Amino acid sequence: MAGPTTSSSTPTGGVLESLSNDLAGAVDRAGQSVVAIHARRRIPASGIHWRPGIIVAAHHTIQRDEEITVSLADGSSVAATLVGRDPTTDLAVLKVDEAKVPVASFAESSGLRVGALVLALGRPGSAITASLGVVSAIGGEWRTWHGGTIDRFVRLDVSIYDGFSGGPLIDAGGRVLGLNTSGLSRGAALAIPAETVNRVVDQLLKSGRVARGYLGLGMQAVRLPAALVERLQMPNDIGLMVVSAEPGGPGDRAGILIGDVLIAVGDTPVSDPAELLAFLGGDQIGKPVTAKLIRAGEPTTVAITVGERPQQSRGSRRGR
Amino acid sequence: MTSGLSATSATTEPLGRELADLASVLRQSTVEVRTGGTGSGSGIIWTTSGLIVTNAHVARTERAAIILWDGRTFDGEVTARDPRRDLATIAIDVGSAILPAAAIGHPTDLRTGDVVVALGNPLGIAGALALGVVHVVEQRRGGPRWIRADIRLAPGNSGGPLADAHGRVVGVNTLIANGLGVAVPVTTVARFLGDAEVERANVKYRGDRAA
Repeated sequence: MAGPTTSSSTPTGGVLESLSNDLAGAVDRAGQSVVAIHARRRIPASGIHWRPGIIVAAHHTIQRDEEITVSLADGSSVAATLVGRDPTTDLAVLKVDEAKVPVASFAESSGLRVGALVLALGRPGSAITASLGVVSAIGGEWRTWHGGTIDRFVRLDVSIYDGFSGGPLIDAGGRVLGLNTSGLSRGAALAIPAETVNRVVDQLLKSGRVARGYLGLGMQAVRLPAALVERLQMPNDIGLMVVSAEPGGPGDRAGILIGDVLIAVGDTPVSDPAELLAFLGGDQIGKPVTAKLIRAGEPTTVAITVGERPQQSRGSRRGR
Repeated sequence: MTSGLSATSATTEPLGRELADLASVLRQSTVEVRTGGTGSGSGIIWTTSGLIVTNAHVARTERAAIILWDGRTFDGEVTARDPRRDLATIAIDVGSAILPAAAIGHPTDLRTGDVVVALGNPLGIAGALALGVVHVVEQRRGGPRWIRADIRLAPGNSGGPLADAHGRVVGVNTLIANGLGVAVPVTTVARFLGDAEVERANVKYRGDRAA
């Protein structure tokens, strides 16, 4: 055969080679604590052995509550039970009896910097997968569209492949910076910082859920007539019109009517459903709150006792 | 490894330099393959005497124009084609010239996360470099069937080299699947070349008998 023999001429062999070795080493080490979770049709999702016997995954990938199995890096499969899920942060916690694989090792949160070289790992099957990229943006605390609080906004310039969600974001040393998900951002790559994951894991282990306040009302932002805004000296001209009220829900029991326009809860003006969600933290449950409304063109107030948001049981099919 | 990547010029400067060096070496061994019609593909200079390896879907016709990085253009003959492996060879007559054949690596040594680079003519941009990592290593006896890399490829990369951090070619970039670059390992290329050799010998044997 006329093919060439393996040439020993290596144009490089310095830092590029050590970078390659570092990245492959990081994947190998961190990959030991990355698991495959069988809780949906089609391909499995990823999870992280976060604490001994505790596995964290992306809520939206866990599409059933029972008969969940987890494949570990050593090739073994174990049954897992769902401890709880927090759809607001897209996190779910599973428990396994025995996991003979190491727990993830964590990086200092200061490692999350714009430009930091990172790898996203997944295990959508038996083999570990990796993508390389950089942290593209870092921001402060933010609220997801379901009202969950994420301590920091971490946007990634990393390609999203099957099995991305639930896998770890690691630094070049193989240490975990956070958990990746495409379920909080209409498909863009985001990471939930480890500090947020720890907080949610603590809550889920304690009570099986992350409690959120609840009014049982569907709202729609509406612009109010200028005359009314002027007469009531409102800070802005947008209110939230009640478009649905769950029968027997906190709002319904308090006498809120469809067509009422909510302009403030307590002293907090609300002109966006997100502001109301932000107000309805778990600490508000059971507390009376004064809702300022416009009903039939006239201001009025109604006292509502904040309820607890019912648990959403299943993952949606959004994201990978 | 913690300090190595913490953005000191001591690392990033040589990194950029090495990558540029690697690209320029690999570029010498990468050719453009034109078969007329729309677009062009890439190819790898496999031997110094002018054997080019590319994809079967790039070498669709019996003859193809081969354009070297230095601009020299040759009329090539497609000498073997295997649509199943999506590989083809093109022979060019370079006379006594010695072509810069690619250094060949070992796909079986690749680990998930290893740095890989691709050279080719994506969307007609000659000699373009892409950087990525091995996305997954297939656990399969006899080596992987495909090399899947987290790397940005485009039409025109087909037939071109995927190389390791040393610049040694480990695969022939062949397709893009779910955003992943998928390459035929050079171990498969070696088998293909062996088969093509046997095929040629048989043809010659039959020819001799007929004569």
